[in-house]
Amino acid sequence: MAPVAPRSGDAIFASVEHVNAELFTLTYGAIVRQLLTDLEEVEEVNKQLDQMGYNIGVRLIDEFLAKSNVSRCVDFKETADVIAKVGFKMFLGVGASVTNWDADGTCCSIVLEDNPLVDFVELPDTCQGLYYCNILSGVVRGALEMVSMKTEVTWVRDMLRGDDAFELQVKLLKQVPEEYPYKDDE
Amino acid sequence: MIVCVAVVGHQNNPLYIQSFTEADDALKLHHIVHCSLDVVDERVNNPKKSGLTLNETFLGLLYPTENYKVYGYLTNTKVKFILVTTDLDVRDADVRNFFRRFHAAYVDAVSNPFHVPGKKITSRTFAERVSNIVKSFGLSSAG
Amino acid sequence: MGREVSESCIDSLLTEMVSSYCNRFYSNTPELAARRIEAIGYQVGHQLSERYTMERPRFTDHLEAIKFICKDFWSELFKKQIDNLKTNHKGTFVLQDNKFRWLSRMSGDPSVENGTQDPESKAAQAMSMYLYFPCGIIRGALSNLGIPCAVSADISSLPACSFVIRIKV
Repeated sequence: MAPVAPRSGDAIFASVEHVNAELFTLTYGAIVRQLLTDLEEVEEVNKQLDQMGYNIGVRLIDEFLAKSNVSRCVDFKETADVIAKVGFKMFLGVGASVTNWDADGTCCSIVLEDNPLVDFVELPDTCQGLYYCNILSGVVRGALEMVSMKTEVTWVRDMLRGDDAFELQVKLLKQVPEEYPYKDDE
Repeated sequence: MIVCVAVVGHQNNPLYIQSFTEADDALKLHHIVHCSLDVVDERVNNPKKSGLTLNETFLGLLYPTENYKVYGYLTNTKVKFILVTTDLDVRDADVRNFFRRFHAAYVDAVSNPFHVPGKKITSRTFAERVSNIVKSFGLSSAG
Repeated sequence: MGREVSESCIDSLLTEMVSSYCNRFYSNTPELAARRIEAIGYQVGHQLSERYTMERPRFTDHLEAIKFICKDFWSELFKKQIDNLKTNHKGTFVLQDNKFRWLSRMSGDPSVENGTQDPESKAAQAMSMYLYFPCGIIRGALSNLGIPCAVSADISSLPACSFVIRIKV
């Protein structure tokens, strides 16, 4: 059964309400800085950013499915593709691409060349272990879990650490065959 | 040629100062910048006497010395920008354009979440951007 | 620059930030959570006022700066101006937004509606926590413009929200 053709990320992004990205970028930056002050350990900040992202991903998936006409992706490959091309575009206004598939199609990379989270950001020497954009890996993991795909998401490349792009490796650990294990209570 | 630029906080605390000369006159330039701060304060406190357009950020020529011309700019957040040049024939539009770009670079630098307000600007991106603005000074009024 | 993101981004980030501070990091000390949320807003307001006052003549007095917050600053953030500005001419200003965007978008939020025994007070509590953020933004913006002040929010006539600014002398 072929799903209804998903709407393009551009079309959805054009149709949703926008806010200026500076507010979002600076707010995220201020949160990261406050977490560093409160939690002290860089490792703990990475963990909490990922957790915050996870919670956001769990909630955003409904809006994503509703607005994108993506009814249900059963295939990991297709899902990764839709997240990168439609998901990133519709929320952050930037497109991402999917590359580096492994042979059995359970591991790939989502590559972002532009990322509004890091406008103006320069990591201080004291924060070299920080995964500044760790919220994004959490969002991807949380969203995928809501469509029954348990994944592990890790950073491979990070422009704040001098790389030429942001690259998130998404590894499928387990796919729960049920359609919707979590019922929406609305 | 621009020989020195500076950003100074509202308590006259230096946030960034950079000279662009081969000669060993950094100390002298820093002194000139320091002296210019008093002129800025005086201008702003007596706008009528100095004939300023009320509250414009661009303060114009602060004072000429034998070898230099010193210009100033004061933001709404009371941050001072100082420009020292050896050019004796400077177009007003070029100086305004310089300050506008310098200010924009500053605003981006302090938008870094890790920048602490009132502390010196150590960003390499900022330093590079300023050096490019200095290099292109007077070449064109566009941009 | 003109870059934009979808409104859901900022909404979900703020909701999650408030919930992390109130339910995870400082679940037993709401006053500490409030201080942190306000501090995050303060940094944002401080930075935004620097950006939004570029290429603008310096303000001559407090009223001019407050009017800037009501008009240009608010429009950049919420695409609308403050609806009503009142002052006692003794350093207190009340800025009323008849339909404060962050509150109206928040009503469908599960973290607010999850209240079990007493949903109403729970919702009000979550809302007041959330409001420390815009209060911090206003305080940060004004303090960067040389106006030290205290800012609080009043939501007694929802969906209107009033921000009370008391300038320190």
